[in-house]
Amino acid sequence: MRRVALRGLSARPLRTALTALAVVLGVAMIAGTYIFTDTIDRSFTEVFEQANSGTDVTVTPRKVDDDFFADPPPLGEGLVERVRSVQGVKAAAGAIFGEVSIRKPDGDPVSANSFVSSLQPEPFEQFRFTTGRAPRSDAEIGLDEDTFRNQGYELGDRVRIVGDEGARRFTLVGAARFGEQASIAGFPVAIATLAVAQALTGQRGRVGGISVSAADGLTAPLLRGRVQAALNGEAVTVRTGEEDASAQAADLQDQFGFFRTALLVFGGIALFVGAFVIYNTFSITVAQRTRELALLRMLGASRRQVLRSVVLEAAIVGLIASLLGLLGGFALVPALRALLAAIGADLPQTSSVIAGRTIAVSLLVGVLVTVVASIVPALRATKIAPISALRDGLTAPARAGRARLAVAGLLCLIGAGVVAYGLFGGASGGSAAATLGAGSVAIFLGVALLSPQLVRPIAALVGAPMQRLAGISGRLARENATRNPARTAVTAAALMVGVALVAFVSIFAAGLQGSIDRAVDRAFAGDLTVGAKSGFGETPPAMLSTLRRVDGVGSVSSVRFSEAKVEGEKGSTSVGGIDPQTLARVYTLRWKQGSDATLERLGSDGILADTGFSDDARVGDRVTMLTPAGKRVTYVIRGLLDEGSDFGLLGGGLVIPNARLREDFDVTDDAFVFVRFAQGANPARTRAAIDRTLAASFPDARTRDRQQVKEQQAGQINQLLYLIYALLALSVIVSLFGIVNTLALSIFERTRELGLLRAVGMSRRQVKRIVRLEAVITSLIGALLGLVLGILFALAISRPLEEEGFRLTFPVGTLALLVTLAALAGMLAALWPARRAARLDVLRALAYE
Amino acid sequence: MTADATIVSTTDLHRRYGEGPAAVDALAGVSIAVARGGFTAIMGASGSGKSTLMHLMAGLDQPSSGTVSLDGVEISGLDDKRLTKLRRDRVGFVFQAFNLLGVLTAEENVVLPLTIAGRKPDAAWLESLIQTTGLADRRTHRPAELSGGQQQRVAIARALVSRPAVVFADEPTGNLDSAASTDVLGLLRRSVDDFEQTVVMVTHDASAAAYADRLIVLADGRVAHDGAAGSADEIFDVMKAVGS
Repeated sequence: MRRVALRGLSARPLRTALTALAVVLGVAMIAGTYIFTDTIDRSFTEVFEQANSGTDVTVTPRKVDDDFFADPPPLGEGLVERVRSVQGVKAAAGAIFGEVSIRKPDGDPVSANSFVSSLQPEPFEQFRFTTGRAPRSDAEIGLDEDTFRNQGYELGDRVRIVGDEGARRFTLVGAARFGEQASIAGFPVAIATLAVAQALTGQRGRVGGISVSAADGLTAPLLRGRVQAALNGEAVTVRTGEEDASAQAADLQDQFGFFRTALLVFGGIALFVGAFVIYNTFSITVAQRTRELALLRMLGASRRQVLRSVVLEAAIVGLIASLLGLLGGFALVPALRALLAAIGADLPQTSSVIAGRTIAVSLLVGVLVTVVASIVPALRATKIAPISALRDGLTAPARAGRARLAVAGLLCLIGAGVVAYGLFGGASGGSAAATLGAGSVAIFLGVALLSPQLVRPIAALVGAPMQRLAGISGRLARENATRNPARTAVTAAALMVGVALVAFVSIFAAGLQGSIDRAVDRAFAGDLTVGAKSGFGETPPAMLSTLRRVDGVGSVSSVRFSEAKVEGEKGSTSVGGIDPQTLARVYTLRWKQGSDATLERLGSDGILADTGFSDDARVGDRVTMLTPAGKRVTYVIRGLLDEGSDFGLLGGGLVIPNARLREDFDVTDDAFVFVRFAQGANPARTRAAIDRTLAASFPDARTRDRQQVKEQQAGQINQLLYLIYALLALSVIVSLFGIVNTLALSIFERTRELGLLRAVGMSRRQVKRIVRLEAVITSLIGALLGLVLGILFALAISRPLEEEGFRLTFPVGTLALLVTLAALAGMLAALWPARRAARLDVLRALAYE
Repeated sequence: MTADATIVSTTDLHRRYGEGPAAVDALAGVSIAVARGGFTAIMGASGSGKSTLMHLMAGLDQPSSGTVSLDGVEISGLDDKRLTKLRRDRVGFVFQAFNLLGVLTAEENVVLPLTIAGRKPDAAWLESLIQTTGLADRRTHRPAELSGGQQQRVAIARALVSRPAVVFADEPTGNLDSAASTDVLGLLRRSVDDFEQTVVMVTHDASAAAYADRLIVLADGRVAHDGAAGSADEIFDVMKAVGS
C-alpha cells in the first residue's frame, strides 16, 4: 500500500508539485520570519554584550511605574559623581546614545536611522579608532568604519549632523570599529564627546546610563549591591554588565515579539488558505481515483490501508512542501527586510541565523496542515465500495447535505459569538486579537461549508452576462462551475479568505483616514503645522521660539504628549500638553463644559478632562497622579472637552498646560506646532520665510498646510495598508494555485467532453474561453463572498470604536477594484489550464478511457 | 455515379504510427470515393484501420501521405483552425459513447454545433429533426435522464442539425441493446432516404452494416472488399471470405 501512495505521487509529478505549492508559501513565510527575527536578535545581542564587555555594573533609568508606556527619562549627570564616590568603584562614567540624522555632503541622510554615541573613558569605551583618532573637542566627530568607508568620507571632511538643537557641522577626525565589528549592527553611528552627544540628543546635563568598573578583587554582584544601596530611592536600575546586556536583549525581543507575531500570523493565514487547496485537491483526486481505490479494496486492502495510503501521500506532499518552504524562507528574508525598509525601519544585514526551532516548526507545521487537510478526503476514500471498480464513470459518494449545513451554521454562530466576545468582552491587546482571530477562522470555515449552496445563485448572477457576451463558452463555463458545487465552493473559499481580509483592512483604513480628516478639519484653525519631515518624532522647543520670530507669523502654539498614572484609574492615562495663552488662536476646541475663556483661568494647577477620561469627571474635581518623572502632583479639573479619544489631536485623556508638563512631567519637546499668520501677512511669503528658517536651522522639520497634514496622515496609514496588502498577497497567491489545481484536475476529468466539443467544431479559442470564464466565475464567487465577509467584519469592529470618533466609510472604488482584480487573477490562474485544454489532441481525447 | 456526386474521397492514403522498426502502418494505400446521398459501411477486424480511415476522412487526424478531399475541399493540408471550421460546418459525428455534454439539455445538445458557430437553428428543420428522432417530449431532459438509445438519437439529431456534407458514425450501436440499435440504425437509414444525407458508418457488426447501401471492408490497412452491402448473411460471407 505504501508503494501505491509513492507511485501515485511520482506518476503525477506536476499535480504533486502544484499541491505542494499550496503549503510552500505559508511555510516559507514562517521560516523566513523566524530566520529574519532571530538574525536581528542575535546581531543586537552581540552589540549589547560588546558594549558592556568592559563594564562591571550599569546604572540605568527605571520607569517610576510599570504601567507607563514610554521609556523613562535619562538620568541627571549628578548621579555619576555619587556613583563614583561609592566604595570599591574604580571608575564610573555617564554615556548617552540617541538618534540623530547624519547627513551626506549633498544634504540627504546617510540612512533612515542613524545615531550618536558619546565617547567614554577607559575601560568602558568599545569603539577602537582604526583610522585617525578619537574626537577631542566639541568641534570634532568620529564615524563607524562602515559609514566612513561606504559614504567615501575623508579625514578632515566637514560632517553635518542634525540633532535636537538644529544642524551642526563637525570636523571628521577618525573612523572606529565597535569591538571587532565595522559597525553597530549596520547602523551609522557618529562618535562624539559627551557634551556634543548630550546637545545633539537634547539631553544637556543628562546621561542615558552610567558604566561602573570595580576595584581589583571586588566582584560585579558585590559592587552592584553597594551601588544599589548608595542610590536607594532613585528611579534607577542597577545591574551587572552581563545582566544589563541580557536585559536589553530581552527588551528588544519583546519589542520585536509583536513584529514576529504579526508576520507569523500572515504565514498562518497563508497556511490556512493552503489547507483549503490541499483539501480540495485531495478530494478531487480521491474522486478521480475511485476505481483504482475500489480495485485495491477488491483485491483485499482494508479501509485502514486505504486511509493510510491517502494520509501517507499527504504527509509526503507536506514534507516536500515544508522542505521547499524552509528554503523559500531564506529567499524571503531580503524581501522582509525590504518591506520593513519601505516603512522606515532600516534593519541591519548580517548572516542569517537558522535555529533548530525554525527547522522543527516549519516542518511540523507544513506536514501537520497537509495531513489534517487530507483527513476528510481520506475518510471519504475509505467509504468507496469495492464494487465501484466495476462500475462506469465517477460516482462520488453522496454527501450528507443537512448535516453539513447544520455544522456550517453552528460554526458561523460560534465564530460570531467569539468575535463579539473579543470585541466587547473586555479582553485587551493580544488576547483580544487572538479571540478575534479564532472567531474569524470559525466564520471562514462556516461560510466555506455553506458556500456550496451559494455557488449556483452567484454563478447564475455573474454567469448571465458572460453567457450573453461569450455565448456557448459562457454557458458551458457557468455549467462547469456549478457542476460540482462543493469543489467550486472550496476553491472560491480559499480566495474568499484573502479577499475578506483585504476588504476589511481597506474599509477600516478608509474609516481611519476619514475620521482623522474630520478631526483635522474641525480642530485645525491655523494656517500651517510644523513637524518632523518623517511625520514621526518631536521637535525641540528651540524651534518654537525661532518660528515665533519669523516675519509674518502671528501666533504659534504647540501640543505635547505624555502620560500619567492617575489615582483611582487603571493603567496609564494619556496626557496632552497645551499652551493655554495661544491654543485657541490656532485650534478650535470642542467644549463639553467651559469655553475658550476657561483656558485663561487655568491658573497654576488647572487642567481639562477630555472624552476618554473617566466618565464621571466633574469640574472642580481634584486629580492626583504620578508622572513619568516620578513626581506626585494634584491638579483641579476646570473644564470638560469632547475632542474624541482616538481621533482628537489632544490624546483624549487629560489636557495640561505645557508649563506644568515641563515642570512635573519633564516633557519639553513638541509633538505638533501650529502656526497662524499675522493679519495682513502674505501667506505665500510667510510660508517661504518659515521654510527658509527651517532649512537653515532645523532641516529635519517641514511646514504642512491643512491638506498636507491630511496627506501625511494618509501616507502613514497607506504605508501600513500596503504592507498588509503585500503580506496578504501571499494568501491570495496560494488561493490562485488552488484555482489552477482545480481547473487542471477538472479538465483532466472532462478530457472526453472537450474532445467531443472540438470534434463537433469548437475552436481552440472557444475551449480556452470556457476554462478562463470558469476561473473568472470561481474567483468572482470567492471575491463576492470575501467582500461581504470583509464588510461584516469592518461593521463589527467599527461599532465599539464609534464612541471614540470612528466613522465607517466604504472605499467603493477600492472595493470595486478588488473584485476586478480578483476576476483578473482568476483569468491569470486559468492561463495554463486553458492552454492545456485547448491543446488536447482531439482523437486522444475521444479515445480517452 | 458521376465525379460530381463524390462527397468524400481518399487517394493512396497512408497512416503510419510510431517510427523505426516499431512503426505500424494503420493504412497502407487506401483510395475510395463515397458518393453523395449514400449510406456506406466500413468494416474490418480490430486493427484493420477502419477507425483510422474514418478519422482521416473526418479531418480528425492527418495522413502520413496521400490525400483526403471532403465536399470539394482538399483537407489533408489544412491547419487546425480550418479543420475545426470544416468539422463544424460540413461534418456530423456520432460516436459510440459519451456523445453528449451532460450539462446541456437534449435540445441544447442537438443545436450545439450551431451554437458553437454562433448561428441560429432553422426552426422548421430543427422541429422536423426532433420529431423524426422522437425527442419531442425529451427536449429539456439532461443526458443523464435519457436512455442509451435516446442519447444516441440526440447525437444523430445533432450530427444532422447543420445539414453537413457527410455524417460519420463510429460504432454508433456499440453500447446499445438490440432494440435501441434497430432504432438508431433505422434513423440513420431514414436520414439518407428522407433527408438525402450522406452517412459513413464504421462498425464490426454485420447486421448493422446491412442497413448500408455499400460495404467497404478493410484488412491490414488496405481495401479488401468494396461493393453493395446486401443482407447480414451476405455480409457475413464477405467478411469470412476476406478472412476477418
